[in-house]
Amino acid sequence: MREMIEHEAPAASAVPRQRGRAIVVTSGKGGVGKTTTTANLGAALGAGGASVVLVDADVGLRNLDIVLGLEARVRHHVLDVLEGKTALDDALVSDKRVATMKLLAAAQTREKDEVDTAAFRDLIGSLRERFDYVLIDCPAGIEKGFANAIAGADEAIIVCTPEVSAVRDADRVVGLLGDERRVKLIINRLRPGLVRKGKMLSVDDVNGILRLPLLGVIADAPDVIVSTNRGEPVALDPASPVGESYRQIAQRIAGTLTTAPEIPRERTFFEKLFGSLK
Amino acid sequence: MSARRIVLTSGKGGVGKTTTTANLGAALAKRGHRVVLVDADIGLRNLDLVLGVEKRIVFDLVEVVEGRCQLRQALIKDKRLENLSILPAAQTRDKTAVSEAQFAGVVEQLGALCEYVLIDCPAGIEHGFRNAVAGASEAIVVTTPEVSAIRDADRVIGKLHERGLPLRLIVNRLRPEMVRSGDMLSVDDVTDILSAELLGIVPDDEEIIDTTNRGEPIVLQPESRLAVVYDKIARRLEGELVEFTSFSAPGFFARIFGKAS
Repeated sequence: MREMIEHEAPAASAVPRQRGRAIVVTSGKGGVGKTTTTANLGAALGAGGASVVLVDADVGLRNLDIVLGLEARVRHHVLDVLEGKTALDDALVSDKRVATMKLLAAAQTREKDEVDTAAFRDLIGSLRERFDYVLIDCPAGIEKGFANAIAGADEAIIVCTPEVSAVRDADRVVGLLGDERRVKLIINRLRPGLVRKGKMLSVDDVNGILRLPLLGVIADAPDVIVSTNRGEPVALDPASPVGESYRQIAQRIAGTLTTAPEIPRERTFFEKLFGSLK
Repeated sequence: MSARRIVLTSGKGGVGKTTTTANLGAALAKRGHRVVLVDADIGLRNLDLVLGVEKRIVFDLVEVVEGRCQLRQALIKDKRLENLSILPAAQTRDKTAVSEAQFAGVVEQLGALCEYVLIDCPAGIEHGFRNAVAGASEAIVVTTPEVSAIRDADRVIGKLHERGLPLRLIVNRLRPEMVRSGDMLSVDDVTDILSAELLGIVPDDEEIIDTTNRGEPIVLQPESRLAVVYDKIARRLEGELVEFTSFSAPGFFARIFGKAS
């Protein structure tokens, strides 16, 4: 797939290729898992054979490179491309594990106000000519960085945790995304045991307020913290249940899986016991 | 006598700035100080929810700045702690509705009414961050023991140094058993990387999820272990030398029985 695209690239202006999908991953509230979700969905889509580019829109506070374990390989960033200091191809960092996945890093020592929204939208447009999926990792908040990140996307994934504050922020962001974008929901870091005890909002509580098509539910699991710190997306671990959840979400995005998302269940007494002995 | 004006900031979102602001404010108020909490997250306010005062908001920070109401009219008094008040952010406005100078002016006015002004900074380092730090005389950087949170904290610390703001660090959501198994950075790792003075260590505790959702700061439950933790942080802020709790992980049997119970 990748070779074919590269081969076709010179003729792209004459006969535009079918455009890829530009999806912004956003939330309003920070720390709910946007970057982790972007990395894992990209890895799962890429491992499934699609060509994927992940764009870090968090200029000044980039982290997607760390979560992918690519921080040492970043040489150029989005602003270098926008300012014509480097060619787009030179700024794309190839993933170590997924051959069809690339990263376009954010600038770390610059400000979001320096990014021109229209130019960023055009950049996403040109990436869509070359990749099946353009996933944009949006910064927290609803300031300039948010406006930039959503500018070129015609689809959005809202990441929300089962917390009142996250739901309120997500609801605000859905309003700001407008009707022209298709918006879907991922509920992240659900703890089934707490839901059962009435100490955490349930999937129905969250989506009773947001009322969005549900792409999937990710359970809270310590292995996500570990994999994020190590820069290895858990979606590439065949043995990880959370990884499987991400792979299923990727299939729902691609349209190859049409069953309703599973809600993570509580582990039984014996699973807990043996889980803790590992 | 002017109040201490402390901004709580982090760079990365979701590390616990709002929860820390609410609980530290409540802990200081419980110790007899007059405290005002300011929500600087215009457009995405949450401090009101965490304190359970969302239904009592009449006026907000932007209306104060625009002269639509008096500062005192916008302050909401906590029903449980009479020393504690909150100035809510506007929900349907932009962060650019308030300038740095205007924000600093409001914080200055609040300083005449109390002993501690705690400013809950939004995530990021954009306009909202610049407003939140504009009126502050010191900073608390909240971070979690995760590589991405530490990188963002490092960036924010650089910006605070540029402004000459003294700062201290709270390491939030520590999981001692993960530190022990080598799956999480230790507090020493974090303070080394950031070379910042430590103000507090807050262990990860699922109780906080529930109390936050219910709008009841956990420091109001004296039996909770986090109430003790926040009280110690409040005492350190006052200048008392309080030893840091060692959150050493429970042993093998405690782990099994803890999980199974």
